[in-house]
Amino acid sequence: MKIVGLESLVFGVDDVAGASRFLVDYGLAPVGVSDRGGRFEAMDGTAVVIARQDDPALPRPPVPGCRLRKTVMGVADEATLGAIVAELRRDREVRRLADGSIESIDDSGFVIGFQLTARKPFVLAGEISNAPGGVVFRPINSLGVPPPGSVIRPRSLSHVVYFVPDVVKAEAFYVNRLGFRCTDRFTGTGPFLQPGGSLDHHTHFLIGAPPQMHGVEHFTFHFGGPSEMISNGYRFVEKGYQAFWGPGRHILGSNWFWYFNSPFGCHIEMDADMDQHDASWQPREATASADNSQAFLLKMRKKWYPGPGIHENGDYA
Amino acid sequence: MATTHEAGLAALLRLCRADEIGEAQSRGFDPDDEGQDSLFVVRWQGQLHGWRNACPHIDGAPMAWRRDAYLNAEGTRIVCHAHGAEFVPDTGLCVQGPCRGERLSRLELVVIDGELFVTS
Repeated sequence: MKIVGLESLVFGVDDVAGASRFLVDYGLAPVGVSDRGGRFEAMDGTAVVIARQDDPALPRPPVPGCRLRKTVMGVADEATLGAIVAELRRDREVRRLADGSIESIDDSGFVIGFQLTARKPFVLAGEISNAPGGVVFRPINSLGVPPPGSVIRPRSLSHVVYFVPDVVKAEAFYVNRLGFRCTDRFTGTGPFLQPGGSLDHHTHFLIGAPPQMHGVEHFTFHFGGPSEMISNGYRFVEKGYQAFWGPGRHILGSNWFWYFNSPFGCHIEMDADMDQHDASWQPREATASADNSQAFLLKMRKKWYPGPGIHENGDYA
Repeated sequence: MATTHEAGLAALLRLCRADEIGEAQSRGFDPDDEGQDSLFVVRWQGQLHGWRNACPHIDGAPMAWRRDAYLNAEGTRIVCHAHGAEFVPDTGLCVQGPCRGERLSRLELVVIDGELFVTS
């Protein structure tokens, strides 16, 4: 099955204006947004969609309190869409919606949709590092650090992380029914999952958790590189948003990360430079811990050299 | 940055004027200049309540999604915007989410001549 990845995530919120401002400040582009909600797109058209939490058009959440109402995945062709319908109708309802997409439910209660992917292809070089002996370099006189005021936009919807009450059952659904592969695994926690039409390390990560945590841990978009992503994160903090963990770099997947609180009842991440794997990749297994999930964690030091108002030896507190 | 008063044995740290926090509003404070708000105050049914900015779900997790934004849109619940846990504003009891049944850590507030202080 050629599922290419996430197409959109649909949330029901209690403050459309606040959530809209949050997503625009994150870097997404508003499309057709009103006081009832709308779409917020990355460069390839993948998106977060928000609506009022009492909007009758929204699917039901997996549990009360979860603001994620639907996870829409893109597929490469009609054959895949037909194969998913045939597979899921063996034991559950699959609805055809007016827009041609299909809607069903996974084994953890999350409403899922599938549509022909509407991702808009684009070509735009990612971050390039200058290295002695290297083959690819940044153009001469171009700068590695995004200048103040430059536009930084998320490129593509990357992944979603679910808290699920039965992680074995949850994984089996995506692997056995929808053709996802486990690329790596945290022992006793859950798998990183890659769909058949993507090379990304993961589009889904499942975390086994107590029933009261059932819902979403985070979701994230890919940015063009670590410098762009971290610059965007600092701008986000300066706008008053609350960082939770980062910036740093994960070990499994290698993606740079920075997590923030959000008005969606879950964290939102900014990520960059995730590993890509094909079917020859052998999944690793690691014990879940902070030490095993961060290769390094960066900390800004605002005043590091002596100067006005700073101790003569600098501020190393 | 905070000014201190001695009241009995407890030192008082000034936060703001008490009337700067309206009904069903919240505000974060960083009285020890840690670079991040360590506590927040909500006004609920006229009374001010001070809470440590730390969700009981994950030790020390900051709760707002934007500076001073600790409440839901209606102003009826304190919300941890990490995983959506909801708390009753005047008791700190978690009534929905990962830490259901646990409580926020209360900080004692004092109002003197209209100025709001937290005991340290």
